[in-house]
Amino acid sequence: MNPHSTRRRAGLRLLVPILTLGLVAAACGGDDSDADTTEVPAETTAPPAETTAPPAEGPTIRVRGQDFSEAITIAEVYGQYLDAKGYDVEILTPAGFRTEAIDGIRNADLDLIIDYIGGSLTALAPDGESLSDADEIMAVIGPLYAEIGGTLLDYAPAIDGDAFVVRGDSEASTISDVADLDYVFGASAQCFERPQCFLGYTDPDVYGIEFSDTVTLEFGPLLGEALQAGEVDAVVWNDTAPQIDEFGFKVLEDDLGLHPAQNIAPIVRTEVLEAYGDQLRADLDALSAMITTEDLLAWNVETDLEFRESAAVATEWLEANDLI
Amino acid sequence: MAVSLLAQARNPIIRWEWIIEEWHQIQSAIFEHLRLTVLAMLLGLVVSAGLAAIALRYRWTLTPITATTSLIYTLPSVALFALLAPVFGNLSLYTAVLPLAGYTLLILVTNIVAGFQAVPPSVRDAAEGMGFGPARRIWTVDLPLALPFIVTGIRIATVSTVGMVTVAAIIGQGGLGRLIFSGLRRAFWTPMTVGASLSIILALLLDALILGVGVLLTPWARRRRATS
Amino acid sequence: MNGAARPTQAAVRRDIGFFEWFFSADTWWGNNGILESLRETVVLCAAVTLVAVVLSVPVASVLAHLRRAELSTTWLVSISRAVPTFAIAALLVPWSLRSGRGFEPIPIFTALLLLALVPIYLNTYTAIRQVPEGAVDAARALGETELSILTRVELALAASLVFAGVRVAAIQVVATEPIRAFLGGDGLGRYVRDGIGQSNNTLVVGGIVLIGGLAALTGLAFVVLERLVLPNGVRRLARQQGKRTT
Repeated sequence: MNPHSTRRRAGLRLLVPILTLGLVAAACGGDDSDADTTEVPAETTAPPAETTAPPAEGPTIRVRGQDFSEAITIAEVYGQYLDAKGYDVEILTPAGFRTEAIDGIRNADLDLIIDYIGGSLTALAPDGESLSDADEIMAVIGPLYAEIGGTLLDYAPAIDGDAFVVRGDSEASTISDVADLDYVFGASAQCFERPQCFLGYTDPDVYGIEFSDTVTLEFGPLLGEALQAGEVDAVVWNDTAPQIDEFGFKVLEDDLGLHPAQNIAPIVRTEVLEAYGDQLRADLDALSAMITTEDLLAWNVETDLEFRESAAVATEWLEANDLI
Repeated sequence: MAVSLLAQARNPIIRWEWIIEEWHQIQSAIFEHLRLTVLAMLLGLVVSAGLAAIALRYRWTLTPITATTSLIYTLPSVALFALLAPVFGNLSLYTAVLPLAGYTLLILVTNIVAGFQAVPPSVRDAAEGMGFGPARRIWTVDLPLALPFIVTGIRIATVSTVGMVTVAAIIGQGGLGRLIFSGLRRAFWTPMTVGASLSIILALLLDALILGVGVLLTPWARRRRATS
Repeated sequence: MNGAARPTQAAVRRDIGFFEWFFSADTWWGNNGILESLRETVVLCAAVTLVAVVLSVPVASVLAHLRRAELSTTWLVSISRAVPTFAIAALLVPWSLRSGRGFEPIPIFTALLLLALVPIYLNTYTAIRQVPEGAVDAARALGETELSILTRVELALAASLVFAGVRVAAIQVVATEPIRAFLGGDGLGRYVRDGIGQSNNTLVVGGIVLIGGLAALTGLAFVVLERLVLPNGVRRLARQQGKRTT
């Protein structure tokens, strides 16, 4: 199939919903995932078999990736998969990050987003306690997504957590070891205001590290370049950044368990989920169950080291796994 | 790792196969870029025409209008996009078009006003003497004479808008900036080179196009035209 | 970057009001304060503008004196306006890092310099071309050397417009310098960057106010400087010739 057949212009469509916000979204929370879980296992076992059952008629499912390679590929995987299953899917041009994705659900501009659950937690409950267990996180963010008109579905085995990365020759092996090393610390602006990130590293009650200096960097390959060049001695990156291996960096163990679990999980606008019924949930759960951390890493190698485009990488993976 | 980044085999300054493989993406980026440029220019022109009319009618307003449009012109575009994002929705078209149009005001208003002020009073008197009413005089005498200035203004504004649209990719609008940022996020040079070069080429083409239209509209000025 | 251990930056509360933020002493002082950011921005912008003047004015003057580069000048405007400054700086950053030169100043300096060269070059060129032929011919008839004609007649008469070019360049540099914060640096752009990253609108607004304010002050500073430096007659002459700054 041609992965681009579902692509349309994003711009004009964004004009329309501005005034029709919130009203719809607020009305249809409340749906809980417990009621349907009994059916799921039966279907997850044989995902390819479902291609024969065409989904019921329903609204267009608009999916948009957050604007970095891994998230773009993930969105392509979910979008192309649903498209092949016969759903009416529109894969929008990737844009924004978590805030924009969650706003998209809230404003009914988007019908399907895929996020890292720990990230969702910090975005939806910025002042809540930090949790490192995936199921605990799901229990907190599920109702919060329901409040804004979204339904959180089961998470995938794939994890892309925060990684405290240092050069290969560093003496440290755990984050605690860094306390004595007088390191220069580099991270994105977001990290500097998060208890699970910079605030936790420097908090005397947690890691209590005193960095000799800090540098704010755009999230992405710049982190690796800066670390390699010695401009910084430690960066907060993500586990599945392929450059970590490429440059021979190492990820320090989060010995105090500060970083939250970061499994990926789809969030569907409840209204759309209800329109399609259990079929959509079952199809999405079946896909999520197949995505592993190794897959994420492999995709990132393709997009960020081999410089292939996300859409093609996604098609290939789906074909290789008989999902389309 | 000592190898120069620019000399990496899989990541040269430009990888031609990528352009062929991703042509559909490039094509839609050009289209998006044009659309944002045209929308911003149209909005900018309408607002500028209004402001210029006010400034010409009530002379004392010229200074505050110029001061305000100059101030807008100096605001950093990244910040302006970011600021409007919460107002219109993070990825709304308005969020991109309003600042872009705002940046055209200074150039357009200045040139429209200068154009009308350059109409020789004797010509104006002659038209009035021939019994032209103010509306007819403005349309058939003043406007054509002011046109070369206005066209110059539109050219300058269009070219800088094309450059500015690349920044709109930050707030998720498409366009060639999207290629630049997508390359930047992956440290992949080809999309950046393609995006930057196409944005320059697009600017030059639009400039030539408007210049051509201007020449067609003012045939009498062809012989007298010095530089823009 | 000093190596002394010091408490690192405290995050600004997301719900802080603009005035509370702006009028707090912590916002202004210290290593991450506005004053330090302002200093970084001013130093870089001043250096860029200065280098741009040193590079463009002589070249433009000589070319204009010789009546060369008429067409290329027009095209130069078009190209330069369309060049994405951010892309240039961003392309240079990895190269600079890998060759051990750090994040700054080469990438951001080069990108801003390219931005600043053009208005100065163009205004100088145009200004000298607008010098009345009669003045030049008169000087020639008096036996002045070409160099002397260029510096004492043409440049002197063009001074006001050259000044306007420098002013426009400096303002553009100040308004564009914030991209530095997105490329491993700081400066006043840091507030915009952190504001966007941390969804803190107070910081974004604060950044815009500071940058816009500095740009406005820069424009004002040049007006004052021009009054102090240029003799009255030159300025009157420039006004008669009409204002051409774009």
